[in-house]
Amino acid sequence: MDRLIKKIIIEDGAEHYKLSDIILNKLGHIHVEKGTHNDVSFKRDSLMDLDKETLRLIHFKGEFLKPCPGTKGYICCGYQILNVGTNCPINCSYCILQAYFNKPSIRIFVNLEKELNNIGDIIDSHPERIFRIGTGEFTDSLALDQITGWSQSLPAFFSSKKNVVLELKTKTENIDGLLSSPFRERIIVSWSLNSSDISAREEYGSISIKNRLRAAKRCQEEGYIVGFHFDPLIYHQNWENGYLKTIELLDKYIDPGKVIWASMGCLRYIPELKFIIRKRHPNTHILDGEFVIAPDGKMRYFKPIRLEMYSLIKENLDKWHNDLGLYLCMESNDVWLNSIGWSPVDSNGLSDYLDKRVLKIF
Amino acid sequence: MNHLNNNTVFIDIREFNEKPGPFCMSYGFDLNSIITSIETVGLINKPYIRRVKTGSIDIVTGYRRILALKAINWDRVPCIELLDSSLSDRDLLLLNIYDNLCTRRFNYIEKGMILNRLLKYFEIEDIYRSYINLLDISSRREVGILIKIEELDDDVKEIIAGESLSIKTIESLFELKDHFRNIVLKWIIKLKLNINQQIIFIEYINDISIIEGKSIQEILNEASFADLKMEDDNNNPQKAKRFIELLRSRRLPVLTRNEKAFARQIYNLGLPKNVRIKHSPFFENPDYLLEISFKDGKNLKEILDALARIKGFSNIKDPWKE
Repeated sequence: MDRLIKKIIIEDGAEHYKLSDIILNKLGHIHVEKGTHNDVSFKRDSLMDLDKETLRLIHFKGEFLKPCPGTKGYICCGYQILNVGTNCPINCSYCILQAYFNKPSIRIFVNLEKELNNIGDIIDSHPERIFRIGTGEFTDSLALDQITGWSQSLPAFFSSKKNVVLELKTKTENIDGLLSSPFRERIIVSWSLNSSDISAREEYGSISIKNRLRAAKRCQEEGYIVGFHFDPLIYHQNWENGYLKTIELLDKYIDPGKVIWASMGCLRYIPELKFIIRKRHPNTHILDGEFVIAPDGKMRYFKPIRLEMYSLIKENLDKWHNDLGLYLCMESNDVWLNSIGWSPVDSNGLSDYLDKRVLKIF
Repeated sequence: MNHLNNNTVFIDIREFNEKPGPFCMSYGFDLNSIITSIETVGLINKPYIRRVKTGSIDIVTGYRRILALKAINWDRVPCIELLDSSLSDRDLLLLNIYDNLCTRRFNYIEKGMILNRLLKYFEIEDIYRSYINLLDISSRREVGILIKIEELDDDVKEIIAGESLSIKTIESLFELKDHFRNIVLKWIIKLKLNINQQIIFIEYINDISIIEGKSIQEILNEASFADLKMEDDNNNPQKAKRFIELLRSRRLPVLTRNEKAFARQIYNLGLPKNVRIKHSPFFENPDYLLEISFKDGKNLKEILDALARIKGFSNIKDPWKE
């Protein structure tokens, strides 16, 4: 992934951090410029040009640990986002980040390590709580690992916290850093899964489903607990067969007893994203389905379509192993009940369920 | 620019270029009212001009007045020539904007022209700060749409300048390929679609075109749509409604099938008048709503008694479970 980078910009205040030095050393052959927070020039089509070839090293002044932004009426998992950077070198057609951030380029927050102690204080002040923390919300957790070394630095810090699990979510096979790390306790490596068709057509720059599962298998063999996210599920031609084949691959490569959870979430998007997807990915078919506007303002598949997809995949995952910690991401109580047969009722209920999975698996 | 150094001069009308030049931003206007005004009371305000080094003339203000004078065959135009060489192009652009703002509102095309010209001299943040309110623009997002508007073909711009379209409709037009924008706008005008219908139309027809691999023109030429367009114009709102329904059932077949199935369930109950059972928008909320309108307590009791006699309530279910 780092081979995609053509330019590095060091923003004001980011010069003297250890991570900046590490990255600049690793990418010594790449042109480096100084920059400021406001030097992203206005472009008429700025939404379309995400400038993924530029890596920005940033002294981030915002919050590093934030709860997942759930929406009213839909059950959220209560995950905490560790904000290590934003934007992603992988170019999935459906990616929400295309509309979510108003600043382009791959952005790495080099002052993270300095902030970890503050995050540690927050965690230590709530010993009764389990913090499920992940870095895969605003970027891929491992896509840039060869230059950031997050798979080394983050487990080293969080594994000392007994009430934390750290989930590194990816669509890559960049697991070398993890495999050479001695810290595996309460570290979860998880992969986004889809049908092979969707992976090939809509997840540009990612690796095949088979290779993701091979990497997951390797992690399991090395003592890591893994997770899987069927998200976004996309209604497409022959989708049933596509997702069942992915479950067959899971069966082939993965030990289900070492899976902490598997989630499902159908494609949903804010209405503004549609225009961006059409412009950036003119050949995509992800918008072909029947989307309606949900009470939270997001476009979702018409409910019976979601029910059909969740039910079929749940049924087949159950056939593989009936204790996978299966949950739905951002779905209503009603959809839970009618697709997977039970519901945590609300976000607190889902948090409890996932916390219990943590206690059971670790 | 507090004291403009100027001089009244008479310019041969043939010296003026037909094009608006760098400072004027009139588009899609009707000259008749200006002609009537000039013919009735004469030229009240003289155009401002600047003579450039090559000898040609830039119109700073009064482009439409000059065109009107041409139309009624004036030979010479009294103008105010700006002599102050310290006036920059930016000053003259602002002079034109403020001159126009005193007398009229700009259409979307003109706002786009203004923004693009301002961008030559100002940063976008300055434009957000100083010109959004002045130009009656509602948001930064609208600025982005208006800036792009100059990219549209002339025939499309003419329709936009002359018709009452919303900024959302214009934004939606950018989702279409260039050569279909004109076709879509003509349908909007022919069927007199309201603003919501305009947006839905553009979204659905574009989606259907992409999903089915057919051009927008090909779809709208199909008998179901073409026949509708040819029908008598007497009842346009109903025609527009049928048109949107046709598109909707094609774009969202599962949803419309379920809506119809639900409507059939409710119809089969034989509910009393003034009683309705509704589903939530798109059935997203699992609860259904029973609505009774009544005149007084006695009437309510009658309706409730009638409801109690209905046998089929237990048949009501999510239509996809039928």
